Amino acid sequence: MVKKEKFMHWIHKFNKGIYQIYAGNTIEAFQPLDFFHFLPLWYDLWIEKIAKVMDMLELDKKSYHEIKKLLPTPSNLRAILQKIMPSYRAFTIKNPAQVKRVTEFFARMLMEACPTDPFAENSSPLHSPEEIAQLLQTLPWKTGTPEAARACGRLVAAAGSLAHGLYNDVVTDMGWDSYGPHQIGDNQTLLITHFPDLQTPELWGTQFRASIKELYLYRLYTDVRWKLAGVGCHTVLQSGNPITGLTKYIVVADGKVLSDETIVALTKELATKAELIYQEIRKKSFEELKQMVLLQECYQLKKLLTAANLDWKPTAEMYARVKDKPLLTGLIPHGKMVTSVEEYKEMFGINEFIKEVLNLPLSPHPVT
Amino acid sequence: MKKLLLTGIPANSGTAQGRAKLFFPGNSAAEFNDGDILVTTLTDPTMVGAMIKAAAIVTDIGGITSHPAILSREMGIPCVVNTKNATTLIKDGMLIVVDGEKGEVYALDS
Repeated sequence: MVKKEKFMHWIHKFNKGIYQIYAGNTIEAFQPLDFFHFLPLWYDLWIEKIAKVMDMLELDKKSYHEIKKLLPTPSNLRAILQKIMPSYRAFTIKNPAQVKRVTEFFARMLMEACPTDPFAENSSPLHSPEEIAQLLQTLPWKTGTPEAARACGRLVAAAGSLAHGLYNDVVTDMGWDSYGPHQIGDNQTLLITHFPDLQTPELWGTQFRASIKELYLYRLYTDVRWKLAGVGCHTVLQSGNPITGLTKYIVVADGKVLSDETIVALTKELATKAELIYQEIRKKSFEELKQMVLLQECYQLKKLLTAANLDWKPTAEMYARVKDKPLLTGLIPHGKMVTSVEEYKEMFGINEFIKEVLNLPLSPHPVT
Repeated sequence: MKKLLLTGIPANSGTAQGRAKLFFPGNSAAEFNDGDILVTTLTDPTMVGAMIKAAAIVTDIGGITSHPAILSREMGIPCVVNTKNATTLIKDGMLIVVDGEKGEVYALDS
């Protein structure tokens, strides 16, 4: 069994991880637009742009560690992959070799970033054991209490909701990632929650600007088991009580440790801004929503494109593809709940992607 | 005396009892009392001010990876999603019990 896993092609591991985002869900649960019938209108043009930056920066020769500062977080890389695959079957211009090159690049980055579980089947281990040991030793930990556990949970809810508004439901992971869970000794678990950028002036100006840019929560639990599935905001409790089980914690914003009082105040601020930004989003017309999502999607690779002196913003051709156009229809059924990996692959066009782009058999075993 | 009112998908475990508050986009968090049970079609970020005060969350639609499910797990409060008609069967002020382990919602005699 272990041997089969070792030789399994990345796409099959990816499917097992990413399926967990869709399990028991319908596409209506993703807001504020039906992304799955919108992205294919123009995503082929974005792939073309990514291939161009890959040429310019010679990314096929670069390791993750050489370019990690130019890339979004691991969960965001997984999210980009999971949007390319179902979109491919409805691309206006199909260039399977180019799509293969781009998707294999992102997959390789993930395999190098999180070598023991790159596609978050159970975890997102971005930090090495040495880095975790150092964090445990050097962070100024505070003793956990049920009140602190609830306060941290509310802060994550508020910051996560703001990230959801700033970036949208299928780019949220750019603003909200989690790393771990890391097993510490026999019965302790470390979970790291990261909000890399809660300001994003390029997307929203200063209107909903948070008072902090980057936020980390480090939480150490006893007898609480977590699973991290698919992408970083999907932390799933496996067993134990995260309220009574919080042993130690520390919250760091822009490099400064926050007091409990500041955590409460920051939660209120971020929750209020999340409400305001989403009220603004709800007022947008269909045309405005399409333009907003286009901008948010392109923003994901801003650092990479900027490093090659390319404009990260949507091109005129991308805007033309979506302007006054209705969403596509019939790609993924509305209201149908996904209940298995095989059903996910069928419904989301992953089987076509595996056959046409990767030239692989649909069966996951074995690839030699 | 409690009576089974609804079943749905258990999205986060735990049990909570409280007054139901039907809450929709556009409602103000100021109208939501600490410890109320938030009942809605599907939460979104316009409701986060109410969500952080809620004792539990019940929704008509959504799965275990939907917005209410993810945030309830973070906050450690019970959550039942995909009940189909919570916003029809549950009335404002009704005393209810949410069992996030079984995915069940009960009405209590007030």
